[in-house]
Amino acid sequence: MNNPFEAFQQSVAHNRTIPLDNILKSKGETLNKILTGYEELLKNEAKDLVWLMQYSTVIKAYSIAEKGIVEIDYTAEDIEEFCYALDHSDQIPYLITGPAGVYVSVLCNHAKEEEINLHLRDLNVKINLLGYRLPYNKKLVVEGNVGDFAGIGLDGGELIIEGSGKNYTGAGMKQGKIYVRHNLGFNTGHGMTGGQLIVGGRIKGLGKIVGGEIYERDQLIFPPDGIKPFNF
Amino acid sequence: MKNGSYQKRIMGIYSYISENLYLNRPDIEIKGNHFNSTLFFGILTGLNRGKELIIGEPGLGKTTSAEYIGSILYQYPLGTIWGSEVSGHPEQTEEKIIGRPDLGELNQGKEQVVWSNFAQIPVKIVDELNRLPETKQSMILNGVDRGNWEYLNEILINNEYSLFATSNYQDRGTNTIISPLIDRFDVLIESRHPGANIAYSIGKEAETNHILRHPEYEKELHHILRADKPYQEKMALAEGICDLFGKYLKEQLEVEGLTLGERKKVKEEMSELEFDVDANAFVRMALAELSFCYKYGQKRSVDNCEEGCHYTGYLCHDIKNCASNRLPVSLRNYAQAAAWFLEDEGVDLEHARLIMPHVLAHRIQWKDSYLSKKEGEARDDPFPIYLAKEATEEIFQRYTEQREYLLEALSVGYRAFAGEEASLLEGDHPIYEEIKKDVGFKNE
Repeated sequence: MNNPFEAFQQSVAHNRTIPLDNILKSKGETLNKILTGYEELLKNEAKDLVWLMQYSTVIKAYSIAEKGIVEIDYTAEDIEEFCYALDHSDQIPYLITGPAGVYVSVLCNHAKEEEINLHLRDLNVKINLLGYRLPYNKKLVVEGNVGDFAGIGLDGGELIIEGSGKNYTGAGMKQGKIYVRHNLGFNTGHGMTGGQLIVGGRIKGLGKIVGGEIYERDQLIFPPDGIKPFNF
Repeated sequence: MKNGSYQKRIMGIYSYISENLYLNRPDIEIKGNHFNSTLFFGILTGLNRGKELIIGEPGLGKTTSAEYIGSILYQYPLGTIWGSEVSGHPEQTEEKIIGRPDLGELNQGKEQVVWSNFAQIPVKIVDELNRLPETKQSMILNGVDRGNWEYLNEILINNEYSLFATSNYQDRGTNTIISPLIDRFDVLIESRHPGANIAYSIGKEAETNHILRHPEYEKELHHILRADKPYQEKMALAEGICDLFGKYLKEQLEVEGLTLGERKKVKEEMSELEFDVDANAFVRMALAELSFCYKYGQKRSVDNCEEGCHYTGYLCHDIKNCASNRLPVSLRNYAQAAAWFLEDEGVDLEHARLIMPHVLAHRIQWKDSYLSKKEGEARDDPFPIYLAKEATEEIFQRYTEQREYLLEALSVGYRAFAGEEASLLEGDHPIYEEIKKDVGFKNE
């Protein structure tokens, strides 16, 4: 009689690799590279765990962050993963929301996708500077609330915040659009020279605005003429 | 012919029928490919020389799908296929199904059989099988199983044939299909309603159905089939006409069937595809659950297993009968056919999971208690197929949980069977008991 287990002669119970294993492995590797880039940024920019939000520091941080991600092949999902990693202290040494926001902005601005969706509703921290320098042809949709300085220096892109922002949203923006579902804080649109900032809720206070348009609940409040329907 | 060329041709047949003749939604998915199950399994049946039972409401394309597949794949004009179909009804006779005496010869005292077209051609369609009374179903048992047709003292043996039988849901005019006959079918498939939107457009397409007819070739085939010549000679002549009809199909419809030689080649290619260890172990696990009984040695429909058995959580507790040996044969053939059609290198778990519900659905007899427990559940398939799909997923779940351990157990089983000192692995599944039985039997 033939051995009925013939097919299992060579059978070593090797672990079967399913496509999901490869996906998870690749995702893990990508996230590690992104985290390494972020740590490099912190080493350079926040040596004493202090980071002052100044015009020059933001520009410098941005260029360092750009160098840090140059060889990383990532997707929009990886950016979201990174944002959640920021929220967990065991995955990164420390969180400083300024450089973190600059780093996330760099990732968004250089992503392959034209539209990036970040589901940050469950995040405990509010990341600052999201949407910094968002260029033309890019759309960043953030689900959840954001921190200070969202969409500053916006450069033609479209930033949609499905939540509320804090202070200095849209500061220094040149062109493009920022939509905010709920409310914004003080100094909104400070120094903006162009583009549109459309807010569905209340704005606590405007900054010194040079140009562009700001709408609050369908009402054009800067320049203070005309009505624009609020429309996401 | 290059690798994959036949598959492209078969895919062309699938596409042509699904786009022009049998309009329906894709309802199965394998490895990212979506197919309509009636057409997919119909084509596998035709390629594989299988036997398929198609169930469904009246008028939902059970018979026509089989006719189109048979006509294009085997290159027989539709009229010939129609002329060889057997209808199930209570007055059906052996003389209409298999053959009759040649009355002219009989008057001269000679016994000679005039074989029916159904018995002769390789595409066999039995319409409304369950309208045949149980006693008359027995007449076609041998023919269905082996392609052997006997009448008077003569026998006709088909070298190649596929059988499609349709069956309506139970009504006043239907009968139960007897167990030995139903077990002979490889797969059970439902021809489903295509949905309101596709159904609306079917009327517009109806006239194109006749594109598969060719009265001239049909007439020639009719002459060949009724001629008083040896069967093999008639088939060789018929194949010549089929080749001509195949050329006609290629020119007119840009769809290409398979010649006899090509069908043989395809069958050989399919048979060469091996099961990988996962598919192999998964099928063994399923067979163990469908045939094992801890108390009575194996499943028997006359034995009733009791509550409180250690194996209550397995399928053996919910079913009455034992898996027949035709089940693994059907599974092997169809899984190989599916792997071949998808141009895979061998049979893997996905193929086995796709095929298994359809080879189980008509063969499992579930206990009444299990049926009443499940009958109210929401589902998208007819009840027998739904239960078989659920059963397959249950087994798959158990397989994924125990995979490494089971493969190790089978590997140890190999060594122990070969006479090496090896202690068999204990496990919480009938398959481990089956391994012990095989090795114990050998060592006795």
